[in-house]
Amino acid sequence: MRRSLLKRYSTTFVVYVILAVLVLSTSLLSDVFLSWRNFDNLLRQVVPLGFVTLGQTFTILTAGIDLSVGSVTSMASCLTTGIIMGREPLVLPVLVFVIFLALFIGFLNGLIINKTGVHPLIVTLGMMSLVQGGILLYTKAPVGSVPPSFDFLAWGNVWKAPFPILLYAAVAAVAIIFLRLTIFGRYVYATGGNEEVARLSGIKTGKIKIFVYMISSFTAALTGIFLASRMGMGDPLVGERYMLDSIIPVLIGGTRLTGGKGGIGGTIAGVFIFSILSNALNLLGVSAYWQWIVEGLVVIVSVSLYFRQKS
Amino acid sequence: MSKNIVEMQQISKAFPGVQALDMVDFTCTAGEVHAVVGENGAGKSTLMKILSGAYKPDSGSIIYRGEKISFTSPRDAQRHGIAIIYQEFNLLPDLTVAENIFLGREPQKKMGFIDNAQLYERSEGLLKGLGMSLDLYALVAELGVAKQQMVEIAKALSQNADVIMMDEPSAVVSGKELESLFSIIRSLKENGKTVIYISHRIDEIFHIAERATVLKDGKLVGTVNTSDVDKAEIIRMMVGRNLSETFPPRRRKAERREVLSVENLCSGTLLRNITFKISSGEILGIAGLVGAGRTELARALFGADPVDSGEVYLRGEKLKKGSPKVSIARGVGFITEDRAKDGIVHSLSVRKNLTMAILDRIKRLFFIRERKEKDLSNDLVNQFNIIAPSIEQEVRYLSGGNQQKVILAKWIGIEPSLLIMDEPTRGIDVGAKSEVYMLMRQLADQGTAIIMISSELPEIIGMSDRILVMHDGRITGELAPEKATEEQILMLATGQKEIL
Repeated sequence: MRRSLLKRYSTTFVVYVILAVLVLSTSLLSDVFLSWRNFDNLLRQVVPLGFVTLGQTFTILTAGIDLSVGSVTSMASCLTTGIIMGREPLVLPVLVFVIFLALFIGFLNGLIINKTGVHPLIVTLGMMSLVQGGILLYTKAPVGSVPPSFDFLAWGNVWKAPFPILLYAAVAAVAIIFLRLTIFGRYVYATGGNEEVARLSGIKTGKIKIFVYMISSFTAALTGIFLASRMGMGDPLVGERYMLDSIIPVLIGGTRLTGGKGGIGGTIAGVFIFSILSNALNLLGVSAYWQWIVEGLVVIVSVSLYFRQKS
Repeated sequence: MSKNIVEMQQISKAFPGVQALDMVDFTCTAGEVHAVVGENGAGKSTLMKILSGAYKPDSGSIIYRGEKISFTSPRDAQRHGIAIIYQEFNLLPDLTVAENIFLGREPQKKMGFIDNAQLYERSEGLLKGLGMSLDLYALVAELGVAKQQMVEIAKALSQNADVIMMDEPSAVVSGKELESLFSIIRSLKENGKTVIYISHRIDEIFHIAERATVLKDGKLVGTVNTSDVDKAEIIRMMVGRNLSETFPPRRRKAERREVLSVENLCSGTLLRNITFKISSGEILGIAGLVGAGRTELARALFGADPVDSGEVYLRGEKLKKGSPKVSIARGVGFITEDRAKDGIVHSLSVRKNLTMAILDRIKRLFFIRERKEKDLSNDLVNQFNIIAPSIEQEVRYLSGGNQQKVILAKWIGIEPSLLIMDEPTRGIDVGAKSEVYMLMRQLADQGTAIIMISSELPEIIGMSDRILVMHDGRITGELAPEKATEEQILMLATGQKEIL
């Protein structure tokens, strides 16, 4: 029993070992790393990448991918600040509106993938362009403002802990429970593992796919709303990097691009590895260009480790 | 030096959990057509894969043209003049016939450019020598299966193969196409080539092969001259017992209720006006050749493919728009033909595969009742004697036979009132076969209606309570098993006769 448990979670185990080694070696190399200020900073930095990768994990688990998350993030940030314009009573209705719009975009992604059979890579790439074009028609420069109370989302504390990291923990917990314990979660894995088998087992794989793209859009919108709070204004290009950055932690976390295997636990570790790596390299004064090179190496090495494990 | 071109001596090969070959001798003389026969799982394919360099034997030796040799790879065997043509062709659909024939060995001009003039000239020469008529400029994707097979043969010859193995070539062609395949094999023989012909269809062997080697359960039964023996003798060698012993006896049920009734069903481009009924406790066998529409019928009945017109009644109730979900909810199960591909999710555990179709029945709100799921899985694992370290093991690590059991257990776990089984014994060994037969009869005796699609005529005749034969998307006849003969079924299956 214990051996089979270890086998089952072995990939996740490896990711957390990598994370631990990274934390350890960074704290040896830099005394600032373990300081409370850096820690607080790091925990807040993790959050935007954290949200969007949660949703991306769902799409990759179904052997899909969502490249439109970046522009949905930008859209959410611009619309939030652009419509609220500092007016406090508008906060709640605007957030609801933005989230609904994001869900609708996700719904369209899933629907088009189902109806046309075109690969998700292409469909969501097209959607990315569509949404990005829409935002740039709306605004070409940073836009809008938010009331002071809205700052709490990015800068607030509960007791001593940063509020956003708690929110991230809560959303991640819901996602884990969802994938692990509910029938929908099981259907996500089955659809990604072998869609035809899943369909013949009575699973409505089309609905499952629509659903994961809605989740993915939803978490991308959370990222956008968070960034709006952090910067106090919306930026039409703020989400651009998440198109690819949202995929890397998922893969580092051991979720297979071919679907059916992996999970949120690995993705969370992936996000921390990704963020701590760039935090550490910053602290050590390594130039941004070297950071790119190191990050690239980490992706290739970690993912090839899992493949060796498999065979 | 003997005139044996191939001598395989005392070849053994084991896979995890199964001794695929056990001290098998096999010799071929130059220029003969030699059949290798045996039931599924007898070891035919393994033996041929060893000769073609795809597998390494655990022990034993291969003597080729009088020299002891050991092939390191299929490519190595090819260089020595041994080629194999698999059931699944290795052709690139978007290249022309000639380009496929010389794929990877294109005649070259200076600087590495392809010499197209030579490519087509040499291809034409090859095909002429075999008496094949093929458009060299046609794309392989546009060709029928029989013509693709010809391309494969020409490809083997272009590699200067002297020994050509064909793995179940007749599984994909029939009728006239089979005749032309035979005439190609004869002309290969006239050109001095050695052909090793793997098949489990006994009739064919007498048409073309001079000698036949019979394998059973990985052991050599014997090599005979086809002129010295008759069909019954070969079957006895293959099966090692009388046929009637392998099938469990039928029991007449007193009461039968109608489970499924199909009227004038049409679907896709193939299925036309299918009408039949099946009652509880009945095993209905559906026979026919590859491409007759049997799998398509199964998929349409299960709701996996849309029904264009016609009516389907399940226990008297008319089905509107079918889907797998609706079918399963009403107690219909479907075990697909290619079970390795679309039977199980390899990346999920035994438990998650077993309960995939019945999660609706073990949930509370949206949550899976894990305790119940585990109990259920453990019960099924015990009942079907599935060998796995635990129910949490990913099915990819299970042996082929145990994967099959997982699939059976999964579908019997839905407690079906109608179970559709597409080639239920394909790819399993002889011992497991009779277990499947026992299980099917047991299910039927408990009242389950079973639709069994099968290409194995003895199985159709031995297991069915009634036999339907399909040809070209239509039902061409219904037979009672007591009166049915293999010849009769084949007549119906090839469309030469109809009984309606």
